[in-house]
Amino acid sequence: MTTPTHDLPTPSGEPDPGSTGSSGGRADHDMDEPPKGGSFLGYLLRKLGGALTSMILVVVLGFFAFRMLPGDPVLKIAKERPMSPAQIAELRSQYGLDKPVIVQFWDYLVGIFTGELGESYVYRKPVSELIVDYLGPTLLLTATAAVLAIGLGLWLGQLSAWRRNSLFDKVASSTSLVFWSVPTFWLGLILLMIFGGTLQWLPTGGMITPGLDPWSPAGIIDVIKHLILPVITMVAVVYAQYLMVMRASLIEEMSEDYLTTARAKGLTEDEVRKKHAVPNALLPTITVVFMHIGGLITGAVTVEAVFSWPGLGKLTFEAISGPDLPLLQGTFVVFSAIIIVMNLAADIVYRFLDPRVRRA
Amino acid sequence: MTELSFANVSITYRSASTRGDVTAVSDISLDLPTGATLGIAGESGSGKSTLIMSALRLLPKSTTIDGQVRLGGKDIRDLSFGEIRAVRWAQASIVFQGALHSLNPVREVGGQIIEALEHHAKDAWMTPAKRRDRMFELLEEVDLDQSKAVSYPHELSGGQKQRIMIAMALACEPDIIIADEPTTALDVIVQKQILEGMARLVGERGISLLMISHDLAVLSAVCENLAIMRHGKLVEYGPSDQVCLAPEEDYTKQLANAFPQIGDAESRMNPRTLKPAEVRRAQPYEMTDEVVLEAKNLSVSFDTRQGRERAVRGVDLALHKAEILAVVGQSGSGKTTLARSLLGLQEVDAGSQLDFAGTALPRKAKALRAFRRQVQMILQDPSGSLNPKRSVYEAVVEGLRVQKITDDEYARVIGALEAAELTPAADYLESIPQELSGGQRQRVVIAGALALDPQVLIADEPVASLDASVRGEILSLFLALKKNLGMSALIITHDLGLAWNIADTVAVMKKGEIVEYGDVDTVLSDPQHAYTQELLAAVPRLGSQSLVNNG
Repeated sequence: MTTPTHDLPTPSGEPDPGSTGSSGGRADHDMDEPPKGGSFLGYLLRKLGGALTSMILVVVLGFFAFRMLPGDPVLKIAKERPMSPAQIAELRSQYGLDKPVIVQFWDYLVGIFTGELGESYVYRKPVSELIVDYLGPTLLLTATAAVLAIGLGLWLGQLSAWRRNSLFDKVASSTSLVFWSVPTFWLGLILLMIFGGTLQWLPTGGMITPGLDPWSPAGIIDVIKHLILPVITMVAVVYAQYLMVMRASLIEEMSEDYLTTARAKGLTEDEVRKKHAVPNALLPTITVVFMHIGGLITGAVTVEAVFSWPGLGKLTFEAISGPDLPLLQGTFVVFSAIIIVMNLAADIVYRFLDPRVRRA
Repeated sequence: MTELSFANVSITYRSASTRGDVTAVSDISLDLPTGATLGIAGESGSGKSTLIMSALRLLPKSTTIDGQVRLGGKDIRDLSFGEIRAVRWAQASIVFQGALHSLNPVREVGGQIIEALEHHAKDAWMTPAKRRDRMFELLEEVDLDQSKAVSYPHELSGGQKQRIMIAMALACEPDIIIADEPTTALDVIVQKQILEGMARLVGERGISLLMISHDLAVLSAVCENLAIMRHGKLVEYGPSDQVCLAPEEDYTKQLANAFPQIGDAESRMNPRTLKPAEVRRAQPYEMTDEVVLEAKNLSVSFDTRQGRERAVRGVDLALHKAEILAVVGQSGSGKTTLARSLLGLQEVDAGSQLDFAGTALPRKAKALRAFRRQVQMILQDPSGSLNPKRSVYEAVVEGLRVQKITDDEYARVIGALEAAELTPAADYLESIPQELSGGQRQRVVIAGALALDPQVLIADEPVASLDASVRGEILSLFLALKKNLGMSALIITHDLGLAWNIADTVAVMKKGEIVEYGDVDTVLSDPQHAYTQELLAAVPRLGSQSLVNNG
């Protein structure tokens, strides 16, 4: 228990009746008034420090984890054509795989800091170039899916909570859980079979019909058509988590006294929900939302593989079958960086939204 | 002006569970004419909150109201939802327990006052700028600085939050204010300020006041008429004086006696209760000269962002065998920090000395464990200090297992429960906290401490969250533990009545220092220090409108 110091202006009002000046019971100088403080900069530095530590661990892990994968990348490359041991050794030295692991690690570290992630064994192109090429489609896919899933989940979640145990709640919650439990690839394949195969309404794979300019009106419509099935798959599988978190946190808020205060002030039920209950319930939800955006991007691996979406996920999928070590390392670091940045964003946004964290 | 009347009101909660419907209020008739003040007293479960919530139709849909609740001559059930919303706050507003969660935690308090004005816009506050002015005006009315408008609830003290609640209730110039336990969880001095402020504001404006509380003395300090409720029924109703000083019903007497009048010889060392704990020793222990726990020049400082804060300053204190010592003071006076350092839970400043049975308090974890067996802590809220998923047996046995006392485990648990007067102990072993009443839970917490055969109990507000009738039972238990077992106890409290009821000695703390220290009879009957006098003066006394008249 601390007794805070006060730098507040002294009140101009009359002194409190019945309390001597030294009692500390003045309205503006209560002894138990919580202390203020906490600079945003300090908070930001702490969180940045945490993010940086995670990033360093990811970089280290990215190198060693993939060297534990089974399969020799050089033998894999050599499999398709006849090669002499001398040629294989030549290949090894070309990729730097003949050097001691610690030297390879050093080269990798230096590469990361200079933006040089090595050259893909399979594509024979610099990894950084590949990642830049494939990042756009992934961002398009996951951002669309994220916006829809978050919007749908939060909206259904707050309605479910407000009408807890109603038919609406039961149908909405159980439907979302069914989709949540379905394997992503299975749902993707079923959708592909029905809408791409049997009905032939939508294209079955890729991002654009070859030959079309993606920036022409026809090209944009074509991309949207390609986008529909993978986005539906991703949204269906993940929106349940937003719904459930929103529902649970709103239900928790619903018994709070300040809602009774709001009702007693004459607010309608809708106003009570929108102005008081939902803003409070959103706070715990925000963190989960941001953390899951990271998860969504990694979830893209499956969807992209099923729909042949030319994104980072598909690139990773192909790199694993190598193993194409530089490419794997590159996508791993990029994926991890996105997740870490999202978590950092969650912390910062939360600080702006919740005054108790902002000024505590 | 508007008057509020309840005519033969019964309120039932429909319940699908096996318990069936629950009648919370049965056949209550009460009137609140224009400008009157009415207090309703009752313990938790008496239906008093349900009754007042019905006045603004704020009860959940699963309730049925029989009889008539009339506001300004109209039956509130006949109003449409739009009409009842217009009535809410404009005609009758509610002061909730602001100290708890009645303010939205993520919105500035000024904005929350303005929100009420927006919903009932009148000529005087038609525009946003006028509403802002009105809000500042209201803050001034309740003695808060304008700078507090942009504070969030967590940045305010309990008393300040309560002032915000009152400002909010006054916002739309209502005819009736309903106050729901407006001073619970506040300490006496702040309580007095709030009650005085409320009584003044209500009196000046001719607003009628309907106030509910579990504390008869608080109600009698402000209200002309008092109603006593129990189990949903009206027990007694009449002018404050008569109900408090010459009650007709036994239950009213019990409530009136629950909070002792300091100076009243009958309640000294005698907490009134229908279930007193038994004193089994032929020659009960009395306070001795043998020092058990002693603090010399004890100081505790914290590093805060504003620099180093001294929460406890040079405290000298000695707890003797079979002594009950009450440490009283307002919130923020450092009394909890003092208790924590006596337990070895809080690092103390250099130069402080803590002795237990003549030897210095160990600093090493292992030696401290042996010490903690001798000195046990009891916290305020038994619901919070018991793990809801653990049975009574597990809760009591935990200390024994931590201390690696393995012999006669079962017998020790039974013995502890019986010492805490949970008899027959075997019946309670498998219960989980949820199945017990508040008083029983606190007994389980006490049993958990007693299982280790400690020499000292340190209790932080042990009865503050308990009902009035249970309060007496628990206090009587503390007294019996002292008399039967020769136990010493240090009790942290803001309640001077508690000290009068059971303590041998009292230490008055203010801003980390002990300003007065001595035996209870001397200190409370003839206080020397101004602060002690102020504390004593702030304790509400039974009898008509004492605070209002003095203020």
